[in-house]
Amino acid sequence: MKQDYSYVGKSVDRNDSYGKTTGHAQYTADLKFPGMLYGKLIRSTIAHGRIKSIDTSEAEKLNGVKAIITAKDVPSMKWGLSPARFDENIFCIDKVRYHGDKIGAVCAVDEETVYKALKLIKVEYEELPAVFTWQDAAKEGAPQIFEEYPGNLNTEIHHHFGDVDAALKDAYYVRTDKFQGQRTYHAFIENHASAAYWDGDRAFLYSSCQSVHYVQYHLCRVLGMKMGNLTVRQTNVGAGFGGKLDPTGLDFAAVILSKITGQPVKMWYDHAETFLNGRGRHPMTMELTTGVDKNGKILAHKFDCVLEGGAYTGLGIASSYYAGSLLGVLYLIDNYKFDCRRYVTNLPPCGAQRGHGQPQPRFAFEHHIDLVGEAIGVDPIDMRLINARKGNSITTAGYEVKSYNLVGANKMARDASGWTEKRGKMGVGRGIGVGNGGFVTGAGFCQYRTDYPHSVGMVKIFDDGTRAYVYSNAVDIGQGSDTVLMQMAAEAMGYPYERCQMVTGDTDLSTLDFGAYASRQTLMAGWAVKRAGAEVKKKVLAKACEMLKASGRIKEGFGYLDGPLTPEDLDCVEGIVFVKQEPAVKLTFEEVARKYFVDHGVLLGRGWYHPGKLGGNHKGAAVGTSPAYSSATQVAEVQVDMETGQIECVDTWDVHDSGTIINPKLFHGQVHGAFYMGVGETIWEEVKFDKKTGKLLNGNFAEYRLPTALDMPPVESLTLDDSYEPNGPYGLKEVGEGATTPTMGAVANAIYDAMGVSMTELPITYEKVWRALRDKKASGK
Amino acid sequence: MYLPDFEYYAPDSIAEACQLLSQFGAKAKVLAGGTDMVVKMKNELLAPEVVVSVKNLEQLKKIEYVAGKGVCVGALCTHNDLVKSDVLKERYPSVANAARQMANNQVRNRGTVGGNISNAVPSADLPPIFIALNATAKLVGTKGERTVAMEDLFTGPGKTVMAQDELIAEVFIPDQKMTGSNYIKFGLRKSGALAVVGVAVAVQVENGVIKDARVALGAVAATPVRAKKTEEFLKGKNATDDVLAEAGVIASGECKPISDIRASAEYRTDLVRIFTKRALRKAVDEGHV
Repeated sequence: MKQDYSYVGKSVDRNDSYGKTTGHAQYTADLKFPGMLYGKLIRSTIAHGRIKSIDTSEAEKLNGVKAIITAKDVPSMKWGLSPARFDENIFCIDKVRYHGDKIGAVCAVDEETVYKALKLIKVEYEELPAVFTWQDAAKEGAPQIFEEYPGNLNTEIHHHFGDVDAALKDAYYVRTDKFQGQRTYHAFIENHASAAYWDGDRAFLYSSCQSVHYVQYHLCRVLGMKMGNLTVRQTNVGAGFGGKLDPTGLDFAAVILSKITGQPVKMWYDHAETFLNGRGRHPMTMELTTGVDKNGKILAHKFDCVLEGGAYTGLGIASSYYAGSLLGVLYLIDNYKFDCRRYVTNLPPCGAQRGHGQPQPRFAFEHHIDLVGEAIGVDPIDMRLINARKGNSITTAGYEVKSYNLVGANKMARDASGWTEKRGKMGVGRGIGVGNGGFVTGAGFCQYRTDYPHSVGMVKIFDDGTRAYVYSNAVDIGQGSDTVLMQMAAEAMGYPYERCQMVTGDTDLSTLDFGAYASRQTLMAGWAVKRAGAEVKKKVLAKACEMLKASGRIKEGFGYLDGPLTPEDLDCVEGIVFVKQEPAVKLTFEEVARKYFVDHGVLLGRGWYHPGKLGGNHKGAAVGTSPAYSSATQVAEVQVDMETGQIECVDTWDVHDSGTIINPKLFHGQVHGAFYMGVGETIWEEVKFDKKTGKLLNGNFAEYRLPTALDMPPVESLTLDDSYEPNGPYGLKEVGEGATTPTMGAVANAIYDAMGVSMTELPITYEKVWRALRDKKASGK
Repeated sequence: MYLPDFEYYAPDSIAEACQLLSQFGAKAKVLAGGTDMVVKMKNELLAPEVVVSVKNLEQLKKIEYVAGKGVCVGALCTHNDLVKSDVLKERYPSVANAARQMANNQVRNRGTVGGNISNAVPSADLPPIFIALNATAKLVGTKGERTVAMEDLFTGPGKTVMAQDELIAEVFIPDQKMTGSNYIKFGLRKSGALAVVGVAVAVQVENGVIKDARVALGAVAATPVRAKKTEEFLKGKNATDDVLAEAGVIASGECKPISDIRASAEYRTDLVRIFTKRALRKAVDEGHV
């Protein structure tokens, strides 16, 4: 199935490496426009309360302040990312719902004046009791955060497949374990920023976001604008990891303030504000029950999950579904019961973060299944091999899975890591553990209801053929999507990659793509630009055929041609068009393209992608159904200091079943980055709030401790040679999010192997390990 | 985040700097590396009306050995100056090593010895090793200079015995009979983390017997503290594992940590036990001061 390609499968240099490594690359906060004003949001200083009054008079008197807006100055239409639960206003109308909630915005002639003005604005509140845990939110008589969510219950899910209770009754062994996840944060380096200006009735917004289309859609919906009247643009984006999918208060406020003042307005978050914007990982409280036969085959699984959601819904409904929807893709489970509740609380809203709702449930399940295996004497990797899904199958929930080699991933990880020699044999303090994961390659549905294609691509060849412009509003948030899209377009056209250029980050000039989320772009935008490239190639071959025939070069000595020369007799590779049976007879792409331009005008190729109808009919099937699923196995080796509890992750192996790898260097970068995020969430990271006031305590990188380079182990990133996905362009599948989903389980299992105590609460901090070891010693076991 | 308004002075002499500090009194703050102060100012935790930068005081940027006396470390030396100093590598590698464990490379390039000390943060990494090595600080003010033992310098979190017009000019580590010293910092990741516990020890070992010992603990009390009972216990004992373990237990009884966002008091207390034992073992075994 695999072919020799010019660019696909090659580690070509990224198109943005020069700018980003020299500091020339511009980000939204770097933008400057003549007469530009600077703006910031006014934020709540209490966790829950009614706004009694907002006094902006002192701030308005400050020299240089140009405009101050609050809820009364902006549309009151609610927005969100789950159509059934639009519950967020541009600015709080009656109530503030968390410490840091958006009350209004100020703009002034310079940064300093904005900060001074913010201090002069006085908000009077009638303070209301607040809740900061789902347990408190769920209590009888708890303060109501939203009228529309009685008992603060934001959503509940009940997915029941097969007959769990009967299967558990027949099981050889049944076990229940409880786990607790924590609230984490994306920790992208570039904070959110927006800059807007108007030209007549048209607005232009630069936004550091993961989807120019969704920002355009949501802003136009709320502001009552035609989408053709709002252009959303981007410069470089300094990562997102799910935290830049929701439009921010900055996007709305910049557009509105710019309209009011008639001047360009740039707005930005300081780092603590990015924490307050939230949308990071939900803390989940999880209870898992599994029944197995004596070989370890899973007969039934029950998963009860509660999410602490923070103040608004955002993407939280999808997060809730993702918590349970992908387990049945990984493992063959005929009887499956998933019950889930999401509560709102008076903390910043949670949302999507790399792997979306899945990583904490992966942690819980992967550790739980090790405990099950241990009880019946089955090796962890054997437990996984027995239960792993195989390709060309349909899940219990009805999802269709084409390529899927979790079995191969487990075997390769086992052999590469020296598992058999190491597991349980390295002495006290040293351990090795395994975890499985994987992800969708794009969601089956748009986030709002539409019949649009999910991605549209275009290729335009410059007049004389010396450059190919590849159009797609897929968002390169640092993962390198521009590079791989150009690789695929170049491959499809037979044109040099080095002469390609992206036209992206502009809803006017480029073409629709839903953006960077659900690991969708390489597949979906990949199809769109591949098809666009193929259309260009088709036109080039037709024109070349015409040129060759007109040139008279074909008549002499080409008697083997069966009839007249046709475009099918030609091919084009790396900018050279040639006769397949006589490659010496050739033209350059450039001369053919130029001739096309002379004869017909612009040489264009167009492509689009829609996943069509995918599997699954139950309520919520939309979250989890996908054209293709990756799978992955990670093995981690750790050293635990049995006195202090300090954990060092010393080595790791990752095998990702990712189909064809378009760019190996970028692929391995994704695996390394994914493991980095996963191990950070396993051991170090947690967003903390004051338990009484709900005030953020660690909104900085000193106290929100990401691992450093010194904490990061080497990662051996491996691939399966025969992995090929028929639903992906060139046979590809995702890597970006799936590779972060096995990590917490793998590391937690290694810690268990090292210390002999099961750690069920994330993050597994040094102090928690110390305490667990102390308690174990005290109990004399 | 933006800096508040302030007046800025960059004097060319110590005398002039002290004069400015005297003139402006409590309104003034000394700026050296700024790694802590500028961040605090941007976060609105500190708003001095006058900032006196000491960056021009070149004479405070030297590390020298004074023959027969000891090592003199200028207060404006950066942490990386300490890390790279041949004098320290030869005579007190434990000091260079303590500096290496601080913060991250960027901070080590800017942060200074004087700032780390006069800031008087309980978790600072340099004071414990200086206390263990019986170092002194030379303070210069408008009324002249004086020498204060490092262990007597701190009076509380952010508080020292320094007068408003005084600067730290240098730290002096005297020649001594100690045969080994060591500082172990325990942070919650390998770089860019404040000490949850820092333990510094210096020992004089002859024929396996501990003749003298100094133990200083960081991040477990309002100031860096000496563990004097531990020191007394060690004197005259053989440096066996049991003795060093017992010393750890005694040291853990000599600290008064608090619980905060990073660690609980009981965890810190036990870490003092563990790291006192380990730091002593290393100082005894590795042998160099």
